[in-house]
Amino acid sequence: MSLELRSVSVSVHRRALLRDVSLALRPGECLGLVGPNGAGKSTLLRCLAGILRPQSGQILLDGQPLAALRARDRAQRIALVEQQAETAERLSVREAVALGRTPFLSPLRGWSAGDAQLVAEALAAVEMTAFADRLWHTLSGGERQRVHIARALAQTPQILILDEPSNHLDIRHQLALMALVQALPLTRVIALHDLNQAMGCDRLAMLDHGRLVALGPPAEVLSPARLAEVFGVAASLHAGPDGRPLLHFSRPL
Amino acid sequence: MSGAALAMAPRRRRVPGLWLGPLLLALAILAGAAIGETRLPLSTVLQTLANHLWQAGYPVDRIDAGIVWSYRLPRAIVAAACGAGLALSGLVLQALLRNPLADPYLMGLSAGASTGAVLVAVAGVGGGAITMSAGALAGAMAAFLAVVALAHAVSGGSGGGRATRAAAAIILAGIAGSQMFNALTAYVIARSANAEEARGLMFWLMGSLSGIRWQDVAPCVAVTVLGTGLCLWHRRGLDAFAFGADAAAALGINVRAMRGLLISATAAMVGVLVSKVGAIGFVGLVIPHAMRFLAGTRHDRLVPASAFAGAIFLVAADIVSRILVPGQVLPIGVITALVGAPAFAAILIRGAGR
Repeated sequence: MSLELRSVSVSVHRRALLRDVSLALRPGECLGLVGPNGAGKSTLLRCLAGILRPQSGQILLDGQPLAALRARDRAQRIALVEQQAETAERLSVREAVALGRTPFLSPLRGWSAGDAQLVAEALAAVEMTAFADRLWHTLSGGERQRVHIARALAQTPQILILDEPSNHLDIRHQLALMALVQALPLTRVIALHDLNQAMGCDRLAMLDHGRLVALGPPAEVLSPARLAEVFGVAASLHAGPDGRPLLHFSRPL
Repeated sequence: MSGAALAMAPRRRRVPGLWLGPLLLALAILAGAAIGETRLPLSTVLQTLANHLWQAGYPVDRIDAGIVWSYRLPRAIVAAACGAGLALSGLVLQALLRNPLADPYLMGLSAGASTGAVLVAVAGVGGGAITMSAGALAGAMAAFLAVVALAHAVSGGSGGGRATRAAAAIILAGIAGSQMFNALTAYVIARSANAEEARGLMFWLMGSLSGIRWQDVAPCVAVTVLGTGLCLWHRRGLDAFAFGADAAAALGINVRAMRGLLISATAAMVGVLVSKVGAIGFVGLVIPHAMRFLAGTRHDRLVPASAFAGAIFLVAADIVSRILVPGQVLPIGVITALVGAPAFAAILIRGAGR
């Protein structure tokens, strides 16, 4: 399963959100996506998920144009966890996760025991089995994000796309969520706000004003010079207590 | 329903089967045929039915039989079809637009359908080549596009986090649209300068089942049955909108195509129904919300539950409209508004508290 962007550009109301971005996912990797607010992270993820068509350029899934694929075939391979998708419906956790089976069901092919099994496995993977019968609006922010990830896992995708999933969570839930995502045996693309969390990814892509400005190992992408240029902050890289590189930010430039 | 499907929602109260809806609806229709200015015993209604359906040959008073068969029965059946169709329209609009206040009446679809119908029937647009139903359909579609475009302009798009503003915007745009289309309807009727037709204005604004005869039954029942079937066919797609249009797209729903198809179907249903009974309000708002409490959020149950509840509600409302004031028939829209407006207020208050 390979997913590749070839010189993709997107503009909305004549404002360029992505400019000539080329990027190929490596099977099984966790690719982090970083950049200042408005750099085009969400737009890039929506392109990768196939729910936004770029004005120019190509998106290829296994060499085939993603746009040529039927929506349900695409959804059987690629799942998206949006930033804070909410509902006013009185939905139970199990019902919310069961929505992930939508691309596999049809008006005539109904719900089966196999679908129920996959929903149970997805709930177990995010440790939400005990919450299965709770109603959505009784959940905390961290629990909701876990349910969203379970819904995406119930899609049994080969590629999982996550848009700042740990946003607005407290630090404990942020770390737990990141550990969960790191451990998933899938190709993942994840937009991240916290650059130290981004250090845990296999590779990082950095966006600035819709352009891909860096792609590579985290410690190389997040160099102090590039952080000064793109984020406008003074930063230094240190060895953390666990041996992993750690960023320290001192002031805005 | 299979064991696995039951395991899906163990904490929901089980909706009492598929038989309760049709049973209650049949009872409501029989009551609609029995109750009225002259109250007839149920036996007379059943005997009249038997005489017409399989020539049972019961001795029934000819006037009573005429009242039951020619007036009350088609009226009750059309009321049921309208109730089901309007409730479904509300359900579909609420799901697809992700707006708890979406409703064919509040959004001006009914007003647009009225305008389209009077343009054809009273002003003679189309020169007899197009039917009143087609005019109503075109009017409903035009109203929908106008209201959604206006709401879109007011709320500045429908992106994330703008949901509350979008919900308010669609109501405000709906008020503007309804007022304009109702004014157009009044203008067209007044210009026709025919006292007989001018009295019909109330019909288009508040709805009435008074003129319903057997020839109106087939189109009303047909659009409602087709609409129900279409909604059931797309039940999983409607479910997938729970977390928004982008989430639905990510789940493999072709959002644009599905919205286009189901909203056109809604406009068609509303158009045909309004051309027969006028603009009846609040059914599409009240019934789906009530059914969400009783039957949960999944559309495999919500669609049939809303259709049956809407049908029963409107048959009951029609009975009440005939007996509330002795010797007078109120427009049925008065009854639905008396029930619906407070429910609308309750939904607003609940939404504000969220």
